[in-house]
Amino acid sequence: MPPGGYFGQALVVDVSDGSTTVVPLADDVLRQYLGGAGLGVWLLSELGEAGVDPLDPAAPLAFVFSPLVGTPLTTSAKFAVVAKSPLTGLLTDALASSHFAIAGKFTGYDAIVLTGRSASPSNVFIDESGVQLVDASAQWGMSAGDAEESIRASYGRTWRAASIGPAGEALVRYATISHDGRHAGRGGLGAVMGSKNVKALAVKGRKRVSLHDKDRVLAAAKDLRGRSFGPATEKYRELGTLANLLAFNAISTLPTRNFQAATFEGASMLSAEDLASKRSVAKTSCASCTIGCEHIYATKGGGKVRVEYENMFALGPMCGVSDPDLVLAASSRCDELGLDTISAGGTIAWAMECVDRGLLDVPWLRFGDGNALLRALDEISARTGVGDLLSEGTRRAAAVVGQGSLAFAAQVKGLEMPGYEPRTMQAMALGLAVNARGADHNRSGAYEADLKGGLDRVHGTDEHVRAAIETEDRAAIMDSLILCKFLRGVFAEPFGEWAALLAGVTGWDVDGAELRETARRIVHAKRAYNLREGWTPADDWLPDRFLDTSLELASGRTATLPAERLRSMIAHYYAERGLDAEGRPTVVTIATGTEPTP
Amino acid sequence: MTAAVVLAGGRSSRMGTPKAGLEWHGSTLLRHVTGVAARAVDGPVVVVRAPGQELPALDPAVLVLDDPEEGRGPLQGLAVGLGALADRAETAFVCSTDLPFLHVAFVQAVLRRFGLEGPEIVLPFVHGYRQPMTAGYRTDLAPRITKLLDAGQLRPAHLFKESDVRRLEEAELLADPQLARIDPHLESVVNVNEPSEYREARDRPAPEILVERFGVLANRGGGGRGARRVRAANLGAAAEQVGLSFDGHVLAAINGDQIRGDGLVPLVAGDTVAFISADAGG
Repeated sequence: MPPGGYFGQALVVDVSDGSTTVVPLADDVLRQYLGGAGLGVWLLSELGEAGVDPLDPAAPLAFVFSPLVGTPLTTSAKFAVVAKSPLTGLLTDALASSHFAIAGKFTGYDAIVLTGRSASPSNVFIDESGVQLVDASAQWGMSAGDAEESIRASYGRTWRAASIGPAGEALVRYATISHDGRHAGRGGLGAVMGSKNVKALAVKGRKRVSLHDKDRVLAAAKDLRGRSFGPATEKYRELGTLANLLAFNAISTLPTRNFQAATFEGASMLSAEDLASKRSVAKTSCASCTIGCEHIYATKGGGKVRVEYENMFALGPMCGVSDPDLVLAASSRCDELGLDTISAGGTIAWAMECVDRGLLDVPWLRFGDGNALLRALDEISARTGVGDLLSEGTRRAAAVVGQGSLAFAAQVKGLEMPGYEPRTMQAMALGLAVNARGADHNRSGAYEADLKGGLDRVHGTDEHVRAAIETEDRAAIMDSLILCKFLRGVFAEPFGEWAALLAGVTGWDVDGAELRETARRIVHAKRAYNLREGWTPADDWLPDRFLDTSLELASGRTATLPAERLRSMIAHYYAERGLDAEGRPTVVTIATGTEPTP
Repeated sequence: MTAAVVLAGGRSSRMGTPKAGLEWHGSTLLRHVTGVAARAVDGPVVVVRAPGQELPALDPAVLVLDDPEEGRGPLQGLAVGLGALADRAETAFVCSTDLPFLHVAFVQAVLRRFGLEGPEIVLPFVHGYRQPMTAGYRTDLAPRITKLLDAGQLRPAHLFKESDVRRLEEAELLADPQLARIDPHLESVVNVNEPSEYREARDRPAPEILVERFGVLANRGGGGRGARRVRAANLGAAAEQVGLSFDGHVLAAINGDQIRGDGLVPLVAGDTVAFISADAGG
């Protein structure tokens, strides 16, 4: 009998022929890795062949649920998609949410893993009766949203689907997997799905997991729901993450024109403060969520698009575009094509700088030109023109262009950087450099340390390192339980409170100290996986641009990030994390035992 | 790295009450001066107090040191302060606690002279006098000062005689357009010794600053979403005037630089304060 909240098994589907294998998940594995991103790295380590190409049929693509999915706890309807990234060649784990998480778990599995390659475009249907591969020619070429709707219209609305768009079909290395307008966005998971010739994974089910202490879980859910309406989530409820944009501009942390500046003269035109009153048409939420962070804006021509800070930053200031009509159109186009907005905007911004410097002969692709941005997105998705080069992401494209262009390719480990300027956020600089997924703001929330005050955000020290580790540990647990990070501010004693939630669901005598150890284990496991796949210490680093050039703050102070300071922070991070001097885990607790690393 | 030393000792005999504890717009004069200094330097701020002297509450980041001997004048406190900073900063702005109009830009203008010319002391010459208590000193001067004290040479003039001193004239200071705009009469060096001087200083309006509110804070407190000019001596007062409070969900960035959640952080004329949500980020 598995613990409450779990089925104790994962389903592996070989999409080459539809055959299936059930992998038992032992209690100790579940307790050590929880679910979501944590259980995902365990599954990938167990099921993935070392050194496999991310787009090879043998590469696993795992959809991982969590012990809290299906409970009444707010924001718990989330799932992780985990695979070896075609962009980084290392681990990537992206979260998405809503009904797919619940329907997928209720098929009776804690994870569904796809391997193999279908002979022709297919949809994979999974319910309690089994697995079916169905011809997807009707959906091939559609946007993910249209494909999802087409499947539900054709096969019944109880099906929930996670789908790819045209970019995933074309194996763009930063293609997304989407469900209900939410995206497992980072690292090219859509290309992995596309490489398997799978357009959509559709799920439905009625199996329910047991809850160890139902009354306790219901009471906790009521309490958490109440807190989710409080001031800690007000920003997300009222304006959404786009509220960051103008504030970041005021404190010189808004990456602009491929990180050549940290303030943008057109910021106010793209701000939530300005756009919400003119464009907002709806606020919605994921399934099982009481926060309701989704802000839907009208686009020119009558369309609608969900806006977030990251897509507006990447397609606006990063590309020097201030026309909200064009930035919203670009965001909407990314959703239709199934492109990660951060990597798309980052790659196009890099190309625009290459054009400025005479390194690329694409005269129409210039900073500030929103129509060029839209054209570039289409070419990337179709892999035509310059899009074929840009569909590979900045690191590979810079290797082709050469001439020093890697120095200003804003990426870490091949993953394009999110909208946080590392020179003026130096805890975040460390977080971006060392995170297993690459330049990432979800697995490392180190920006919180920079934005909370108390630390000098433009002079990283050992204190910044400790703060960055704390946020990384918190993210490891939230991404494995899974709870939405927008809820993080409501927890006064997060590890203890999360342990109490988990205990009520599972019946484990888990406490905050154990969850801290779990966080450490998950972070180490990700490193161990990366080490196996070819990670080297040089991968934990930032591009030269951030170390060689400085930024002026409005106060007159200069923000610099010397290489020796970053090196010192990384060395301290390794020591604090219990890694060896080159960042390798000394003890790895992947699989069922504790093993010394080779 | 730069630091600051605030000398809090002295008898305050003419004031009749310890100057460090004088009320200053809801705070104290010492907290105000240490706060201004902290905003101007990128290293630590040290307060040197007389033996047994009680100090008002300070920002926890401020280091408090005891002067081991009373009555040896400012050089004694200078030696203690600079000596404690020798391993942590190259230069320090040194001042007394009784400077209600000290401006961040003045401190920075003094300290910038070290970078340009590399003297041991940067000594402003303002309002017809040299200003050793609003001056810059290299921290490695501490042993030399101790030697002078041991020889009974207790006056700053003795130190100046034996050091590479760079005089900083009024005209040079006012050549800095920012300083000329916000402290045109160089009141940064004006100290208060008599109760009447304190009252006159205290009766002046608080400095004028510009306030911006972002995100969910933009619509609070009325007055529209745009930037507003208000008079406020510290962040708490500025927040109050635009309908905000530091309730754990509000932070402020001063001039686009450091982010603070402490309402007692002092403001000076010309500041721009951006109030942002404490839950900023993704």
